[in-house]
Amino acid sequence: MRKKRGVKNEKYLYKSEDKFEFFEFYSQGTKGVIKKVIEYQPTSEPNIYNLAFGDFDEKTNQINDMTVTNNGDSLKVLATVASTIYAFIEKHPNSWIVATGSTDARTRLYRMGITNNLVEISKDFYIFGYTKAEVWEEFVVGNDYDAFLVTKK
Amino acid sequence: MDKILIKKLNKSKLPIIAIDKNLEKFRGRVLFPEKLELANKIIAKSKLPVLNK
Repeated sequence: MRKKRGVKNEKYLYKSEDKFEFFEFYSQGTKGVIKKVIEYQPTSEPNIYNLAFGDFDEKTNQINDMTVTNNGDSLKVLATVASTIYAFIEKHPNSWIVATGSTDARTRLYRMGITNNLVEISKDFYIFGYTKAEVWEEFVVGNDYDAFLVTKK
Repeated sequence: MDKILIKKLNKSKLPIIAIDKNLEKFRGRVLFPEKLELANKIIAKSKLPVLNK
């Protein structure tokens, strides 16, 4: 299968509020236009934030992170989410960001997103994966992880 | 105009962001409670890695 060149760098335009803790953008693909919301939520530990995103249903005002949208743009969505890390870190320079997938498939997708952009991301960030042995290790391409951790270099 | 902006955005690591105060409506809400709970469990169980700066 032929790959489109440069696809991994494509991103959607997005909006945020002043603190760069909430972002929104519109995924545009085969299923139509879907509003996505990204949240950086403070965890129980200072300076550690949980990164999560999902589909926003404007009818119910609810967010669903279990939905498999299949809008044909998952890499572009991931690239968009990844780029918000730069904005968030600007405002919260000493923070750590944790990300977990809502399903195994979603976690694999995150891993793929990191792998595809590892050279670029690792210039600016330390990236760790949470192993089955419940320890953080420096991200290794091809290894399975349950969560990911990022902080600025 | 949007096309030019998207092109610029795609070339830049630092994002171009539009500020929208409407997003303040989410403040104080936990939008992804299960993920937050999972993250808190992991953080409680495992220390942060040491950075080789």
